[in-house]
Parts: sequence; structure tokens; C-alpha cells
Amino acid sequence: MSYSIQPNTEDRETGPFFAAAAEGRLVFRVCNDCGHATQPPTEHCPWCGGWNTEWRQAQGRGRLHTWTTVTHQIHPDYPTPFTLVVVELDETPDVRLMGRLDGAPVLTAGQPMEVWFEKLNDDVALPQWRPLGRPV
Amino acid sequence: MSLIDDDMTFAGRDKTAVVGIGQTDFTRNSGRGVLSLATEAALKALADAGLSVEDVDGIVRCGDDVVTPYTLAASLGAKNLTYWADTGPGGVAPCMMMGLAMGAVLSGQAKTVIAFRSLNGRSETRLGAGGQRGVGAEIVGGRGSYDEYFLPYGLMTAGQTFALMTRRHMLEYGTTAEQLGAVAMACRENANRTPHAIMHGKPMSMDDYLASRMISTPLRLFDFCLESDGACAVVITSTERAKDLRKPPVTIRAVAGGAPLDARAGMMFPVVSRHDMTELGGRAAGERLWKRAGVGPSDMSVAQIYDCFTISVILQLEAYGFCGKGEGGAFVESGAIRATGSIPINTGGGHMSEAYVHGMNHIVQAVRQLRGEADMQIPGAELSLVTGGPLPIGSSVVFRKAA
Repeated sequence: MSYSIQPNTEDRETGPFFAAAAEGRLVFRVCNDCGHATQPPTEHCPWCGGWNTEWRQAQGRGRLHTWTTVTHQIHPDYPTPFTLVVVELDETPDVRLMGRLDGAPVLTAGQPMEVWFEKLNDDVALPQWRPLGRPV
Repeated sequence: MSLIDDDMTFAGRDKTAVVGIGQTDFTRNSGRGVLSLATEAALKALADAGLSVEDVDGIVRCGDDVVTPYTLAASLGAKNLTYWADTGPGGVAPCMMMGLAMGAVLSGQAKTVIAFRSLNGRSETRLGAGGQRGVGAEIVGGRGSYDEYFLPYGLMTAGQTFALMTRRHMLEYGTTAEQLGAVAMACRENANRTPHAIMHGKPMSMDDYLASRMISTPLRLFDFCLESDGACAVVITSTERAKDLRKPPVTIRAVAGGAPLDARAGMMFPVVSRHDMTELGGRAAGERLWKRAGVGPSDMSVAQIYDCFTISVILQLEAYGFCGKGEGGAFVESGAIRATGSIPINTGGGHMSEAYVHGMNHIVQAVRQLRGEADMQIPGAELSLVTGGPLPIGSSVVFRKAA
């Protein structure tokens, strides 16, 4: 698939998320002092007030928190119906990430999800989520 | 939450007043530029107040407006402009504009402040279509927007975002489609008693609501506000001066903004990471607002609740204390928000059925109610809440009919 909408991968706060995704790794920003994560990522930890944050690799598993099946076409690159999913990382309830499934699958809150990486082009990949064990 | 002592004796209480209101026609295609619309609304507000362009020395606007304060001043011929300010995104702006105007007047920076919002939200910039976003190749996000985490997935609109929140409210509290429909129907009923409302003359039954097409599950077409063209403006000055003007003054009793307890960087999409996705900044805003105003939700005669979507009304009724957390669905289903209920909301039809002027038509409607000038007048209305937001932060005002 080819999308005209590409993420900015060079932002100073978020670039490492996309650099890791291009290598097939999922990372999130975590505070070494208090253990909380920040999402969207910030260098400063709003939970404890420290600056001792860094990127940490996630195992790539999570739970489905909420979802919506989009039936009203907004953008030609995203034909309807498709389903937007919000997945909470197994590592921390502080981080939830987006994913997109084709069509209108039957989903259940809390069901296990796993990450996969969708290549948008040679340099850019997007972490995506699917129900655990379901092939792409 | 700790509240500073000053909140208990809010310095601005009833010291400033809205003395003029103005609006253009609300349409699906104005055929005019947003500067012309803003100018018309401002001139009508000045005429309503019995003031002239020469009196205008302050202009505040929504941060999303295309029209700048100095351009509006130029169009008006308002040569005495000495104060201007922007505030906040979209729906957060109108209530905070009241705060900016209050601050300007009480600090002596301006005597006569216009607050306005002008948009061709249907014929030019359709927020429901992702705003100004083009369809060509595009690099999105970065520079603090955090849109790079969301837009490439196809999450592009507020409606999709609120759909994700609605699902959580349904999962956690059992909120139903019919309860969402009760919000849409209450607004439509009011629009049908308000001749200038876009949906006037178009009654809607629960069956009509349920039959409307899905846009982003679980939200249907009639869970969404209108997209419309139009402008609203109001004039704010000191309450002391207001007594000499044309219309009975409506005082700004209190104003308060608030951030969610679990605030996240970025605009609306990052709400998906809040531990509690259905908890709004409106709760903190409300706690401050009621202390500053010295009154509570049960004292309100009427309320204009920011209704970008049906769910946003339910979440704000909970946040501002009209009902408990998770009880919003049952509350609206009880009829409490209808014209005959304990807290009539969106008495001109609101964004759902009057027009979408990004919260400014709610300010205008509140003033009409407290003057006794509304098409669907709530008898004896003395206090009105107006809320803004609901993402990423909240804002609120209590207006009072001057003694």
C-alpha cells in the first residue's frame, strides 16, 4: 500500500519512535526515576518532575482499549470501512497507541493485540496492531 | 485540588458585562468572506449596545480564526484599537475570550472589547473533512503537534476521536444510543422554536435519529454538530459603564478554564492515552468556576453546553456536576436537559441544530436568555452557564442577569 500522508519522522521529540519503527522495533518514552511513561513523548517527566527519561523498547503486545469503525470517507488513501484501534501497552497503562484494521472486524474490549510494522516506503514504517495471532 | 484564596473572592465577579450581541445569518454557504461576516457581526453587536466603532479599543479572537484583531479593526474603521489577544483552539476559545476581555477592562487596558468568531465552516473549511488538510502528498505532524502519531493511521477528525471516547463511556457505564439521541433531540426541539436556526422546521424523532447513517461507530450523523457559515460577536465593557448603555447588561459573574488531571501533550487526539478517556478538563474548570461564581449547578436557570457531539454534552454535564460520573446518559434520558427540565440546555438549538460558530453562538444565546430576548425563552432566567472545550482543555463562564 502507498499513502500520501506520511509521518514527520524528524521531529526532535518523536523522531526516535519512527527511527525504531523503521528497524522493526517499538519504543516508548519512560522515566527512569519514577517509572511512568509519557505518551505523546516528552523529555520532561510530568509525573515526577524529572528529566531522566529515555526511549525503551516494548515487547509489542497490548490490550484493545477502544475502537471505532469509520464508515464516512474522509481521505482517499483510507477507504471505508476501516477500524481505528487504541491499544494499551502491556508494559504500562500510561501508553496507548493507534492502529488501523481493514473493514469492520468484530472486536472485544481488552482483547490481546500484537504489533506489526507497515512499511510506507523504503525509509518509513508505521507500527500497526492486529488481534493476537491474526495474520496480516 | 488546592484553590488559591483569591478564587474564593473572585476579583472579577460581576465587574464586567456583555452589552451588545450580534450575529450574521447562519447558512450552508454565506457566499462572503469571513472578514465581511466578522465585520457584520461586530457592527450589529455595537449597534445593539448603542456604541460606535470609535468606542472599540480592544478585540479578542479565537486562535483558529482566519480574521485577526487588527484586520477586523481595519475593516471596521476602529482606529482606537489598543488591546488585542488570541486565545486557545476552537471550542475552548469563546469562554476564555470572556476572561481576556474581563482582564483587559479591569486592568485598564481597554474599555470596549469585541470578542468574535467567524468561519465559513461549511462552504470553505470543513472541520468534518479534516479541516484544511489537502489530499496530495503530505508530511504530517512534528513541531509539537504530535499529529505524526495519529494522522497517518487515518485518525483525522474530532468525530472519530469522540467516537473512541463514546465507546469507552458505553463500555464503562452502559451508555446507549438512545441516550445520545436524547441530546440531539433536545437540541432539535429548541431549534424548532428558534426561527434563525439552520434546522428550524425539521423535527426529529428518536426513530429519525437512530436511522441516521453511521459516520464513525458508535456515532451517527445526528450525533454530530452542524457545519455552517456565520459569525457572532459580543461587546464587553465594565458593568458600571454598562448601566448607561442601551440594553440591560448581562454580567460576567465568573470565568474559569481547567486542564484534565491526566493532561497529555498535543491537541485533541492524545486524549486516547489519558488513563480515563472520558474525564475532561471541564471538571477542574467547573470546580473553580462554581467557587468563583459563588453559585452551583443547581442554581443555573439555563446552560449552553458545548455540543460538538452528543457525547460531549453528556461528559460535560458530568464534569460540571449536574450529575455523577457515568450518570450522564441516564440524566439526559430523564428529560432534565429539555426546555421543561431542571436544566434546559442549548436553548437556541446549539451546535447540533442552530449553527456551528465554534462556541460563540452559545455566548450570544446565554445573553439573550438573561435579557429575556430568546425565541425560546426560559421564564425568569437569571443565571446561565456556558461551557467550552471539551478537548484538550475546558473553559467556562457563568453569566448573570444584572440586578
